[in-house]
Amino acid sequence: MSSTEQGTSSAAPAEPTTAPESAAAPEVPESFYYVHGKDKVVHKVSAGALQHSALIHGMISNLGYTEEQAKANPFPFENIDGDILQMVVDWCNQHKGKPTPPEDTNLPKQKEKLFDLVLAVNYLEIKELLTYCCKQVAMMVKGKSPEEIREIWMIPTDAEDEAAEKEAKKRAGKEAAGETAAAAGDAK
Amino acid sequence: MSSDLKIVTEMTKKWSIGPIYDTNWCDMPAEIKLECIGKMALNERLLLRCTAKAERSLVDSQKIKFNKGLIRKSCGDLVFLLSRDDKYTFAKRSKGINEAFELIKYIGKIGVFENLEISFGYLFTDTKKLITDLGLFTVKNIELTYCNIDNMIDVLRKVKNDVESIKMGGDTMTAEKLAEILEISHVQNVPYWHILNYEQTDCLYKVAQMWIDRNSKIGSTFQASVYQLGSFEKFSRHFNDRDRLVSMNEKRVRIRTNKPDHHILLERGFEEDGEIHLYGQYFRLMVISAELKESEYNDNCKEWIYKINPEIYKEYDSASPYSYDEYYEGFGWGSFVY
Repeated sequence: MSSTEQGTSSAAPAEPTTAPESAAAPEVPESFYYVHGKDKVVHKVSAGALQHSALIHGMISNLGYTEEQAKANPFPFENIDGDILQMVVDWCNQHKGKPTPPEDTNLPKQKEKLFDLVLAVNYLEIKELLTYCCKQVAMMVKGKSPEEIREIWMIPTDAEDEAAEKEAKKRAGKEAAGETAAAAGDAK
Repeated sequence: MSSDLKIVTEMTKKWSIGPIYDTNWCDMPAEIKLECIGKMALNERLLLRCTAKAERSLVDSQKIKFNKGLIRKSCGDLVFLLSRDDKYTFAKRSKGINEAFELIKYIGKIGVFENLEISFGYLFTDTKKLITDLGLFTVKNIELTYCNIDNMIDVLRKVKNDVESIKMGGDTMTAEKLAEILEISHVQNVPYWHILNYEQTDCLYKVAQMWIDRNSKIGSTFQASVYQLGSFEKFSRHFNDRDRLVSMNEKRVRIRTNKPDHHILLERGFEEDGEIHLYGQYFRLMVISAELKESEYNDNCKEWIYKINPEIYKEYDSASPYSYDEYYEGFGWGSFVY
């Protein structure tokens, strides 16, 4: 249901496969949209799959794009890594028109990827996938000590936090003093 | 169509300038952190809140649902057993009274309980501390047994108003203490409450009188098991003197309230062979519709007696959802920080 292209202007996306027409009533052909992430790789996604994303669905529900217009205007998500967007697109396609299962075991185990996915999914407002991801994040600290949690999630200690805050204040003070001095120099 | 295209172009431009996030927990927005914390068990939440001040305030801002909670005195300490989604998730034995109190306070603050059972025994003698320092408990069904009566009343006062059932052990309850309990607003409004092992004979007519004074709703139910003889007779006499009797026989007394469409029905529990329970008498008091016919009375008192004393009918025991053995066996005991 989806295809991936290298760049918006290079190869044209594959035509959507259409289901055989029923004898009773001809089916309305499914509409497709195009999205790309930071890597500019364009993903072709059906409107049905995009229904999972409240953000995109809200946008396109009354749009009435033709195939050409959709192709010419891929939705850019420059703040989402290409591989993460690919995961999101794959998930939306896999769960298109299906009830979501109580658990999803195909989520990334690697911390950075999982956090990136959480943020992307939150941004795209995909509620069910966000629930799975948050469960997976919660599982990461199961049975760990506070020190281990701090290490895994890179949580600064209160002392480190305070030191960073002091440093930031100091820097801001210096910058302000520099600006004042520069302004005084200009005035002379 | 061209205006649609313009809107989309504008929106997608905005999307494109969104921030590229880092991949650490600390860079996650608070709402996502809260969503993740919401999926954690109490153990993990307690451990996470030990990592830094910011995490502590986030964890503490998030409520946690428990379907069962048991706080029970055991050898001078308190034992906490909490379960979530029918899975045992938290077990702790407090070290000393101060830790016990702090943990009650914390669990009371963040917990949303379906069922909570508290048996403090006589552990807390400083009742002022309970009144002043405890927050309000959010609980649907609360059971208070084997507690100093003053502690019991203090905890009852600290329960939020939407409680649906209150179960109490009343072996240390005097008439004065019952009067204090009847003054508590959620006791007055609770759909179901009971006193197990009450040692006086005044609770039935006092509860009925409180319902009359407050025009309580149809369905309000109070049950009691009483060791002393005479509660049934005292109830009948009290309302006969006030010209409220509608009907009376050895099993039931029905009285009028101030609302013409509301009656109150007192029923006495009987053995299957029709005998009265001698070792502890069982009573049920209900606000009923004045329309209810005598032919519609239910003579099967086994079910409601079981509700007040599950141990009385052995055949029901295997189905009991509140078995202590089940509670204790299911837990792994660990050490926890909070």
